[in-house]
Amino acid sequence: MSFKVIPKVALPEWIDHLCTGYRVVGPKPLHGQHIFSDIQSAVELDLGYPTTVIPPKKYLLPQREDLIRFKSDGNQIHVEEVIETKPTVVLGIHTCDLHAIQLLDRVFYQGFSDQHYRAHRENTYLVSIECLQPCIPQSFCKSMGTLSVTDGFDLHLTDIGDDYAVDIETEKGAALLDGFSAVRDVTDEEYRLFNRVVSEKWARFPLRLDFDITELPSLLSVSYESKLWDELGERCLACGMCTNVCPTCYCFNVTDEVDFTLSAGKRIRIWDSCQLDKFATVSGGHNFRSSRAHRQRHRFFRKGKYQMDAYGLLGCVGCGRCGQACLADIKIVDTLNDLYHRHANNREQERLL
Amino acid sequence: MSAKPKVAFFDFTSCEGCQLTVIDSLQTHPEILDVIDIVCFREAMSEKGDDYQIAFIEGSCTRPSDEPVMQAIRDRAELVVALGACAHLGGINAIRNRFDLDDVRQYVYGDKAEWYETYQARPIKAVIPIDAVLPGCPIDRREFVAALKALLQGRAIQIPDYPVCVECKLKENICVYLRGKTCLGPITRAGCDAICPTYGDGCEGCRGLIPDPNIDSLKQILSEHGLNPDETLAKMTLFLNYQTMEREAADDDQENG
Ligand code: SF4
Ligand code: SF4
Ligand code: SF4
Ligand code: SF4
Ligand code: SF4
Repeated sequence: MSFKVIPKVALPEWIDHLCTGYRVVGPKPLHGQHIFSDIQSAVELDLGYPTTVIPPKKYLLPQREDLIRFKSDGNQIHVEEVIETKPTVVLGIHTCDLHAIQLLDRVFYQGFSDQHYRAHRENTYLVSIECLQPCIPQSFCKSMGTLSVTDGFDLHLTDIGDDYAVDIETEKGAALLDGFSAVRDVTDEEYRLFNRVVSEKWARFPLRLDFDITELPSLLSVSYESKLWDELGERCLACGMCTNVCPTCYCFNVTDEVDFTLSAGKRIRIWDSCQLDKFATVSGGHNFRSSRAHRQRHRFFRKGKYQMDAYGLLGCVGCGRCGQACLADIKIVDTLNDLYHRHANNREQERLL
Repeated sequence: MSAKPKVAFFDFTSCEGCQLTVIDSLQTHPEILDVIDIVCFREAMSEKGDDYQIAFIEGSCTRPSDEPVMQAIRDRAELVVALGACAHLGGINAIRNRFDLDDVRQYVYGDKAEWYETYQARPIKAVIPIDAVLPGCPIDRREFVAALKALLQGRAIQIPDYPVCVECKLKENICVYLRGKTCLGPITRAGCDAICPTYGDGCEGCRGLIPDPNIDSLKQILSEHGLNPDETLAKMTLFLNYQTMEREAADDDQENG
């Protein structure tokens, strides 16, 4: 839409301005890490954060959410939809997480769209920020093609020194700047600076995947019987941290809670994880993925193949959160490289025979 | 018999903290008293009835004279629920099971050791069949409330079968391993809302092991985080000694058989 500039000195004023009309959330430091949390003023915000424990998907798909309330009067059951949402500005979303939101949008809007997700999504203002430095050693966004964005945000910020360059993509984005006087047009000099900053950043990011990402679905197809899954299964704790911190994971469980009258209550949903022991247990008690190895394999296939087949996007954006969280040190990028080299070695052996 | 189910609370070797949590629940949810009749609860009232359908038992079995008392409760109650870590796992009382009993008695009771009939501490399911468990040291108030509702609905009590890490991550706690501490969260049953890591301390395993824990992998992780084998054993035998010794015995059986 248009391109503007916000002087960094005016950031506090902008945050104050936003807080008058919206719930404002952004990255905040906590015990040496960062989490997305409510912001009342700019001093709390750390836009230079490396990563957060949980991605901003929690504002679109909360960890725990009431879906409906129900009440029975003996003859009839009354059901009332519960949608609790307020206009929320999410500041400082990294581009990997923005790509992940694009996948979530496809998942939750396709077919029978999810009215809770939709309500949050439509009430959420996405303000992303360009990464200029690699975040954490476990990340591999450049290999996954998620180190930049062209759309999917409402506003996109780039740090150009004394100012933030602001790409205004949507009406929603423009509304966030309404009545904020410090935002101004970009000068030619600033535009050149902006271009230099975003082109020079690429050399700082390593390509961590040893093969081209487009080969991933076929690599997985030929690796279904790999021994690697058993090796991961030996180490994996089935703790579910990798999926709970993942910006593209969206599995949830639905349960009912009643009050002591036993005639009224609510239905809630809560995040679930394919890595947990009983995730794939069906009535009758059969668990069709009872081993950790099979669950790990399932996770990698979801990320690298099934999502692509179903939604046309990979289920991993390379943010590295899972690798950082996993106590057993299971990392997506290392595992995929390992698979690739094993496969290449097998081919080589076959050729020599 | 009134329409309300009659409920009784009993205690064996324990600190009575779980029953305190029950009293706490009665204060936060006074409506509980509209739907159940409490006929026996030594810690909260002086009346004593022995006509009840549901018995909650706190505490572990630590001496021969506990056994017939537990059996009598089992005979009277339709449902028996183990309340808290002592009843569920033997609790910290079971630390002693790893040592020579005479030495332990000598250490605790000195020259009066002979006066006491105490033996190895066991969870109540080692003495009588039980119908459900509410884990924890102490039990979780919300879980107790949910359990009562399930019983009133005629449903089985559901407790989580996944580890504490799940609740911990959903709350977006900073993992204590990243804060230079260690934690049994990955192998311990959730349901406490990860209260210890939430306040910055590692989980000590008070809710017992998850159904299929990867203990070997966790031990490896503990050693990578600086615990020596003795420290790891101490961690695995604070609340988990009974379960750990059961697993050791099963491993021995496998090796010998
Ligand atoms: S975080 Fe690691 S240990 Fe936990 S379930 Fe995922 S892969 Fe397994
Ligand atoms: S799988 Fe891991 S690296 Fe990929 S998007 Fe999820 S958390 Fe990030
Ligand atoms: S993975 Fe890449 S895009 Fe995502 S936060 Fe790190 S540097 Fe930024
Ligand atoms: S602090 Fe403990 S329970 Fe929480 S994520 Fe870390 S290991 Fe799991
Ligand atoms: S975190 Fe661990 S030790 Fe603490 S209450 Fe929960 S299960 Fe018990």
